[in-house]
Parts: sequence; structure tokens; C-alpha cells
Amino acid sequence: MKKNFRLEVVTPERLFYSGDIELVIVKTNSGEEGFMAGHTWAVKLLQPGQLRIQEKDEDRQNMKYAAISEGYIVVEDNVTIFTDAAEWPEEIDLARAERAKERAESRLKQISPDDIEHARLEIALHRAINRIRVKGGNHHHK
Amino acid sequence: MAASNLRDIKRRIKSIDSTVQITNAMKLVSSAKLRKAKTIYEKVNKYLHFIQGSIEGVFQKVSEVPDEYTKAKAHVNRTCYIIITGNRGLCGGFNSSVIRRALYEMQQEQEKEKRENPLLVTIGLKGKEYFSKRGYEIESEYLSPPEDISFIDTQIGSKPIVDLYREDKIDKIVLIYNRYVDSFRQEVTVQTLLPYVYKQPETAKQTERKYIEYEPSMEEVLNYLIPKYVEVMIYDAMIESATSEHAARRMAMENASDSAKDMIKQLSLKFNQARQAAITNEITEVVRGAEAVK
Repeated sequence: MKKNFRLEVVTPERLFYSGDIELVIVKTNSGEEGFMAGHTWAVKLLQPGQLRIQEKDEDRQNMKYAAISEGYIVVEDNVTIFTDAAEWPEEIDLARAERAKERAESRLKQISPDDIEHARLEIALHRAINRIRVKGGNHHHK
Repeated sequence: MAASNLRDIKRRIKSIDSTVQITNAMKLVSSAKLRKAKTIYEKVNKYLHFIQGSIEGVFQKVSEVPDEYTKAKAHVNRTCYIIITGNRGLCGGFNSSVIRRALYEMQQEQEKEKRENPLLVTIGLKGKEYFSKRGYEIESEYLSPPEDISFIDTQIGSKPIVDLYREDKIDKIVLIYNRYVDSFRQEVTVQTLLPYVYKQPETAKQTERKYIEYEPSMEEVLNYLIPKYVEVMIYDAMIESATSEHAARRMAMENASDSAKDMIKQLSLKFNQARQAAITNEITEVVRGAEAVK
């Protein structure tokens, strides 16, 4: 029998997800990383990226996807993900994300890399790209 | 003379009556906003506790807490005050009590410890107006209405503060805001965000000293968590302050409505007395006139 564990995804604004699951995949600093029940306890930083959840009694083809911002994951007997922002694909406004992407790109071209704005814009750009990808349904990206 | 007096009173009653209508409406609006703000506030507060829990968890596991965030810096002598006020008035002592407290804190610190002039971050229009007029150095300000603050927005504001701390421009970050006790009471609170005060738990859970994997490293995780803690604290305080503001305004408006109603009562009494006096006067005049004719 497969083992389940409880996953909670928390943002400052809401409890984004809470449920019994089999597998969760997130993007850590070293790349995409999956966690299953019985994993060594860990605290890892997360990069903005896709969150994939395989819920209890679901097969691997039927995973849930969401876009999450930077954050960290705490792996104990249960797993908690803390992130600045999280969105389900149906919550993402594609047109808005694309506008944000274009805006960030054109602004980035105008200013010098030393500008404080630069780092902020890069984050905004990554966030927009991430949202477009999650929304686009291209889940098996490389 | 009596007639003009009557008219004056009537006019005053009328104007107070329209004030009551306004204050009553504002009170209702504030109650609705208060309810909304309270639900958000409760959620944020929970998240903050989670983060704090994680930080303490890391602190418990490391044998040496890195000094950067926990110790005062010897060569830096400047505090950054984050002062949260509202954008609008008509909320009793809400704004002025925060400002007063901030002034007091700054003065105390400078007198006792001979520190450099403080650096300010003002959140809310009232504080900004007050301090910029008086020539304080304001690093940044945040002026959006507190109802629609998002975490991402506050992050843009709070990151530079942590950077200043890292770059040794300041060695202390203090937050001053109105804490929400209940809908009748709000308290000005002064809280030091950095250096981080770590309270060693009385009963250290030795049993939970399990091996924990940190990635990229324990230091990196702490370097992420502590600024995050500051960001979330500021966000939390802004939400809490907004909740307090609505509660304070509701109270102020309720008091205003009540005292306006009292005034109307008194003025009505006066009005009736004046009217009576005028009538009595007229009767006396008529009677006197009639008697004179006799």
C-alpha cells in the first residue's frame, strides 16, 4: 500500500492547499525535486516555479498543478510549503500575465543592470513567465 | 429678538442633524470594513506564527546562531523606525498616538545612547505628512489605502530596509503601530524586528533533535527566513493597523453621533423654552395692552 502524508501550502494571504497526498514536486535550488512519505526531515528553499501534487488515490497522470512564487518547504512527518504567492491555473489571467511579461521585458531593456529596479523587474519577469507556463497547460516542459 | 433667537437654534439643530447623518454613515462603513479587515488579519497572523515557528525551529537546531541578525553591530549606531499610521483622519487618537509614541521613542534613544538621527519609513499619509514637515529623513513611504494591501506590494517596500541592515547602514529596525486588542481598544506597540530576539524555549525539546537536511545550507535558509520574517511582520502590522484604524474610526464616529444627539436634545429643550418664553411674553403683552385700554 502506498503511503500518504498531509500537505499544506500557505501564503501570507490564505491557506492555498491542504490535503492528503502521495507525492509533491517543487523546484528547489538544485532543480525539480519530489517528496514522498518517509522523506528525511528537511528545510529547503524554493524557487518560483511549478508545484505538482499527486493526491491520494490518484495516478501520476492526474496531478494537480499550480504556480508558486519563491518560498521554502518544511519536510517533517507532514509537509508544509510557505510561499509568497500561489495560484491555480484557473486563477491565472493569461492576458494579464502576458502584459506583465512584456512590460517587464521592455523596462529591462531600458534600464541599466545596476539599477535597483533591475532585480525587481527580473523577479516580475520570472513570475510572469512561470504563470504563463502553468496556465498554458504545457505541463511536461523540459 | 426672541424670534431671531428661535431661528438660530433651529438652524443649529438642522446642521447638527446633518452631521449625525454623516457620522452615522461613516460608522456603518467602518464597521463593514472592520469586519473584512479582521478576517484578513487573522489569516496573516497565522502565517506569521508559522514563519516564526520555522525560524525558532532552525535556531533550536543550530548550535551557533549567526550573529548577523541577532547581535547589535558595534560600529553602526542608527535605528530605522517603521511608523504605521492611517491615510485619513476622523479616527480619534489613532494617528496622533502613534506619532507621539514614535517621537518619544526617538527622543529617549537619542538622549540615552547618543545615537545618530533616525531613519524613517512611513506607512500611511498622516505619518508622512507629520515627519516630512519636520525635516526627518524618510527612507521610503507607502501610501496605498490599507484595504487593498497585497503582500507582494509590501515586499517591494520592505526589502530595501533589510538591505540597509545588511549593508550596515542601520543596526536596528523598530516597528511602531496600533495593535488591535479588540474593537474597543487599540494599543500603540513598539516592536524591535532586528536584531532578532530569540527566546530560548524553557523546555527544549531534545527528543526532536532529528537530523534535518538544509538546502542549500543552514545559513542560506536563515538568510532567507529572517528577512522574510521582517517582511511578513511588516505586512502583518499593516493589516493589523488597518484593522485598528477601522475600529478606531467606528468608535470615534459612534461617539460623535452620540454627542451630536445629546446636543440636539439640549438644543431642542432650549428651543422649546425659548418658544415658551416668547409665547408667555406675547400673552403678557396682550394682557397688559388690554388692561391699559380699560
